[in-house]
Amino acid sequence: MKSAEVRSQESGVRNKKQLFFIFCILYSVFCILHSADAKVYVDITSPEVKKLPIAIQEFNGKEGKNIADIIKEDLEFTGFFLCLDRAMYIESSLQAFNSKNWTVVGAEAVVKGNVNGEQNLIVTASFYDVFENRELFKKEYKGEKGSVRQLAHSISNDIYKHITGENGIFRTRIAFVAEDEDKKGLYIMGWDGTGIKRLGIKGDFVLTPHWSKDGTKLLYSSERGGKWGIYLLDFTKMTERNIFEAKGLNMTGNFFPDGDEIMLSSSKDETYGLYSLRISDSRLIRIISTRWIEVSPSVSPDGKLVVFVSDRGGTPQIYIMNKNGYDVRRLTFEGSYNTSPAWSPTGENIVFVGRSSGKHHIFTINPDGAGLKQLTDRGNNEDPSFSPDGRFIIFSSDREGVNGIYIMRANGESQKRITPAWLRAFGPRWSPN
Amino acid sequence: MKRFFGLVLAFGFIFAGCAEKQVVKPEQPATQETTQKAAAPEAKAEPAPVAAKEEPKRVETVPVTEVVETKPGVVAIENIHFDFDKYNIRDDAKPVLRGVSDWFVKNKSAKMLLEGHCDERGTNEYNLALGERRAKSTRDYLVSSGVGKDRLEMISFGEERPLCKEQTEECWQKNRRAQFVIKNAAEGSRK
Repeated sequence: MKSAEVRSQESGVRNKKQLFFIFCILYSVFCILHSADAKVYVDITSPEVKKLPIAIQEFNGKEGKNIADIIKEDLEFTGFFLCLDRAMYIESSLQAFNSKNWTVVGAEAVVKGNVNGEQNLIVTASFYDVFENRELFKKEYKGEKGSVRQLAHSISNDIYKHITGENGIFRTRIAFVAEDEDKKGLYIMGWDGTGIKRLGIKGDFVLTPHWSKDGTKLLYSSERGGKWGIYLLDFTKMTERNIFEAKGLNMTGNFFPDGDEIMLSSSKDETYGLYSLRISDSRLIRIISTRWIEVSPSVSPDGKLVVFVSDRGGTPQIYIMNKNGYDVRRLTFEGSYNTSPAWSPTGENIVFVGRSSGKHHIFTINPDGAGLKQLTDRGNNEDPSFSPDGRFIIFSSDREGVNGIYIMRANGESQKRITPAWLRAFGPRWSPN
Repeated sequence: MKRFFGLVLAFGFIFAGCAEKQVVKPEQPATQETTQKAAAPEAKAEPAPVAAKEEPKRVETVPVTEVVETKPGVVAIENIHFDFDKYNIRDDAKPVLRGVSDWFVKNKSAKMLLEGHCDERGTNEYNLALGERRAKSTRDYLVSSGVGKDRLEMISFGEERPLCKEQTEECWQKNRRAQFVIKNAAEGSRK
């Protein structure tokens, strides 16, 4: 290698062109090889996914077991992995990877790793394909001792990406509303319910926040001094500003894809209606106004449609229209109470709250009104929305007494509480990244 | 030969490039995350402080409610109630509303805040809208009986301020209400 470097330096300008040419060819060959290499181990788009049996060995060194356990929890929750019991393993964590040790156990993929350092950790994770007896990747992750969870989540993301071809959600955050001293405030935590922090905003009431597309801002409605206003919090500066205030009840919807325009509902001017507001120049456009209740507008991911709640038919139901207010049609016909609609990231599904036998449950429906599915059956369940990859739904529920935040797969499987029992929590929204 | 070394070198570049990327990439978001979280002002949410705070606060709330109750004692206006998921004025509310409009005749410059409330069943945003509609129905009724519009303000609290927290129909009925709060009451009662 060294002699190659010396020689190429000697070879002069004439050879540089040649070298560049060879480099280009090699690079394209490499790219082709690489894309062929990116085989999808688990096709998570197929309706019946076969779980990938995976062995996650305890990492050597400080926090090694902890890291391996977090990866295991992450991967298992997706439903695409079957994490094999460590008691079955033949190969010790100190031994080098040998596929023979794993075929016996039934593992198709193996994760091994080492942790170095005390305060600043360097974690090396290796991921192996047992059938092909080769290393799929080896990566180094650096972070402070306190960020072990984040390091482990990064490893989970890489494994998930390698196996499914899609981005993992293991480092995403949840913004939500929680109650402290009878006041409702805004909170933030990891998707696994760890690292809960309260954001120091004013006001006694705040409603479900909405993330900006880049994950740096939060949009929410808050009641302060008898007035309902809409506020925008910027995480990069940790500042908040009021972007809309008027007489009456003003509640924000989500962002349009451009990241500047938002939907909102307002009863200003004594008429009830849905508006779009451009944040940069405060341009407000009335989209519809009626004498009925019209609330909870949600813009589709492509920005073309708006789904909202109206009682124009006598009971609260979900309606859909184009973003200019035309072609309004009713989406829900089952039951006498359907509210809180939110789009899936692909726009193929809408999740909402429906009342059935006096209790609130989470349902999904296609935007054409077909495919209605009930996903919960215990307690009251509210405030649903999708994860950024569309594979999970987050919601709040009182099924265990105190209202808390739960996640489940988008088909309703694996429902679990992620907030602690002492915290009354509502209105969760998943960060886009 | 030179060409061969070129190949080796090129390969070297590719792998070196990859290796570097892989090392740097995961670290960057980690620091970003920590700085974002560290920057959160008044960030606190450990179980211990919250649990510790709850106890003394509960003791403090008692005198606050007592103060509120002595004020309307001067001009006691009972709440009016609504049916489940509805915001039309019921017949049993009409005598109360007549009393309110009479009160306005006696207190010529007084103003009132009409609060709309809901029971806990229902989703937050819709309940806020429902509460506002209850306040508005109340106001419209009072306006039609002669009270000036500018003397009536409205606010909805949805399900946020229940009078009673049990899960019984009796309790829910208490919470589905419009509440009358006299603004500048001192001024109003003097005149």
